Amino acid sequence: MPLDTSTYSLALLRLDGRRWNELRRIHAQISTQAAADGSSYLEMGNTKILVSVTGPAEGRQAGQRGGAGSQAKVEVEINFAGFSGVERRKRKSDKRTNEMEHCLRSAFENVLLLHIYPHSTITLNIHIISQDGSLLAACINASTLALIDAGIPMSDYLVACTAASSASSSAADNASSDDPLLDLNNQEELELPFLTVGTLGESDNVAVCIMESRVRMERMEGMLAVGIEGCKRLRGILDGVVKGYGKRFG
Amino acid sequence: MPVSILPPSAPLPPRRDARDDDDSDVDMSDDDFPTSQTKSIVTPGEHITSDPQWMRGHGTYVPVGDSTIISTVAGHLHKTNKLLSVQPLRARYQPEIGDLVVGRIVSVQTKKWSVDIAAPMLANLPLSSINLPGGILRRRTAVDELNIRTFFSEGDLLVAEVQSLHQDNTASLHTRSLKYGKLRNGLFTSLTGAGGGILSRRGGVVRSRRQVFTLNTAAGEIDVVLGVNGYIFISKHITTNADPKEVGINRLDESVTETLYSSQNDEIEPAVMREITRVSTLIKGLVACGTKVDENMIVKVYEGAVELEAEEKSLGGVETGVGAKGVVETVLARLELEAGG
Amino acid sequence: MPREAEISLNEREFIKQALQEQIRLDGRAFDAFRPLELTFGDEYGVADVQLGKTRVIARISVDVTTPLPERKFDGIFQIVTEFSPMASPAFEVGRPTDAEVILSRILEKSIRRSNALDTESLCIIAGLKCFALRADVHIIDHDGGLIDAACIAVMAALQHFRRPDVLVEGEKATILSVREREPIPLSILHQPLCVTFSYFEDEVFLVDANLAEEQVRQGEVILTMNKHGEVCQIAKYGGATINPLALLNCTNVALQKVKEMTTFIQKRLEKDAKKRDAGGLLAELSAENAR
Repeated sequence: MPLDTSTYSLALLRLDGRRWNELRRIHAQISTQAAADGSSYLEMGNTKILVSVTGPAEGRQAGQRGGAGSQAKVEVEINFAGFSGVERRKRKSDKRTNEMEHCLRSAFENVLLLHIYPHSTITLNIHIISQDGSLLAACINASTLALIDAGIPMSDYLVACTAASSASSSAADNASSDDPLLDLNNQEELELPFLTVGTLGESDNVAVCIMESRVRMERMEGMLAVGIEGCKRLRGILDGVVKGYGKRFG
Repeated sequence: MPVSILPPSAPLPPRRDARDDDDSDVDMSDDDFPTSQTKSIVTPGEHITSDPQWMRGHGTYVPVGDSTIISTVAGHLHKTNKLLSVQPLRARYQPEIGDLVVGRIVSVQTKKWSVDIAAPMLANLPLSSINLPGGILRRRTAVDELNIRTFFSEGDLLVAEVQSLHQDNTASLHTRSLKYGKLRNGLFTSLTGAGGGILSRRGGVVRSRRQVFTLNTAAGEIDVVLGVNGYIFISKHITTNADPKEVGINRLDESVTETLYSSQNDEIEPAVMREITRVSTLIKGLVACGTKVDENMIVKVYEGAVELEAEEKSLGGVETGVGAKGVVETVLARLELEAGG
Repeated sequence: MPREAEISLNEREFIKQALQEQIRLDGRAFDAFRPLELTFGDEYGVADVQLGKTRVIARISVDVTTPLPERKFDGIFQIVTEFSPMASPAFEVGRPTDAEVILSRILEKSIRRSNALDTESLCIIAGLKCFALRADVHIIDHDGGLIDAACIAVMAALQHFRRPDVLVEGEKATILSVREREPIPLSILHQPLCVTFSYFEDEVFLVDANLAEEQVRQGEVILTMNKHGEVCQIAKYGGATINPLALLNCTNVALQKVKEMTTFIQKRLEKDAKKRDAGGLLAELSAENAR
């Protein structure tokens, strides 16, 4: 179903009524599961994710004791609920999921201070309850919260969000007509070229950047800039969640 | 390129608003407690100070080529002289030498046991660090190695002390005291994530002078073992038939030898079982309320809960919240009143 | 499973220090590819790419099947990657490692998702018959830069490949053999190519790192672009953080590299075509008969 972009250029409002630089509603909770060392529940619009962290603990397989050298090993498992998408279908472990797991693992390996827990394993279990765009970004944000809840030291929040370029790639090539959008839902993701960008805390530095659609290279700059600013805003929101929790239980 | 990002504008749905309000009510009653830590917490990535006079401690880091101390966990800032450290709100138990822990045997190896003590790594309990039957000073023999499973086998619970720490923070335990050893006749409770650290969170076991104590109940005496790692064991108090003062140290050993490594429970009266579960539930309630768990608190709350039950029986219908948390809250509120009035 | 041999600490330090002094161990410039060699097989659709010591062979094969019910007007195109233990003892058949998953995902995103191949042209009769194209990527030798080499191999093989012509009469389709009709090339819409940047401390970006450099690097950015300046895919999975401006700069470097490689592939294709056309079509056919 083609996205009606004509109405967008008129009213500058997206299909769900947001402006171009507006985030979806975010609701986050931490310490949701009693049994896990750390857990979180995150809603970004209609994307809903539950993460539980186990560890640092002795690895599951006997003999294979944690990570190489003097670092803890990070394991990520993503589980899609059967009802999470529009179609109900089993997706066990396809390559896309593997890729996401790889991405989360290598992103968090650089954020967490793993040398504090040599030989141990930190396991992230991610349950995707509902998908509506920005899936990888939501996974990253939820995992960050769960890891904070588990008290695992990290150098800063790793936050991610998506940004798109609203003019289709076939349209005018000049970058001036470029119109970036922030935090996409599923419909927009299907229609527009977008990228997922993850930054480390308030800094501009990019930790994760994934783009899967074809776009003119001139548009990259605008998308990145919007994505990075979105991440900064998100960090503030997530920080508020952690602080609020700290007030309640501190 | 200046970009401003609008915050999500949609208000929270009413369902959640109601819940949040509910929670903030609890907040208020919690805030009535006089605590020294009402200030807000620091979170990962937060700059604590760039003053070079401070030293960085746990929970902080200094980026390369900078003197700014940055927090790495979400928790409270502690200042010890010139040392800055951040105590996480919740974290796995980090073993320290001298800690009294409750653990569970995970695997048996030739000369040692691996014990789960809720730390990042399994702890070791070497065969040489346990009390062998037949006297403290007996030499460890090859026969003991063969019979290693008769002392502890997989799944057994024990109380032990952290003797030493290895380089990778693996703990070595010992049970070379009559206070330590196999646990039986009772109930195991785990307070996940709440243990460890000094006042890591208001709920949780506190390192204190007395972590093993006996509680007097109507049905009899109950032993409570509070492991610093958040594992708790509550059992029926077994009186040793001989008075330790009268018997020599060797005789005492012999008298406990038979029961030392037994996995057989003694007979426990239903009334005692009831009290054991009551204590266990109350401890969970204490943690849910975010109150610290120590002897004093447990004794007070236990007495309060018994009183509450008696009232409920005679008057019928005392208003409490739901579950253990509700009961503990009611009891705590009453204690507050008493202290105030 | 034998683990990939890890580079020793002092080698690691050595490489890093050399890079600080703007030296790469093999003397290349930071933005230089290793010598690229591309040869085509006797058959159509076989490309053998050698990038330094890394060697990748891609082979395209075609089959006729029924199209997927949800995509009636499209042919089928799939890319299959295989890491054989021949390339490195760390590879094992039947158990995909992370690197293998990433390679196949990147190829998938770069070539298939970006619509480099016009799959509609593979359709014979809508909903009934279509060509199923399969690209097999074999890693023969592994010395880093697998993704770049594999992408070149697949793209070159696709451009080299000729599919048999078909004659459609109503509901009946006849596949014409090579003898009956000159096979026709695939319709390629654009030519995406991958450039992998490996970065180190102090924003040092290397193009086409070899295995040793890959083991020392702080992280990688895999960019796929075509010569028209379109970015088809970016993948930066974790790793150390980088400045966004450096990332944008990478796209500029990548564009230049992609242009160079596209012309290189084009030249080789022309050379190969000339060789094949030496005696005209008939001569080739008779040569095949003789065999």
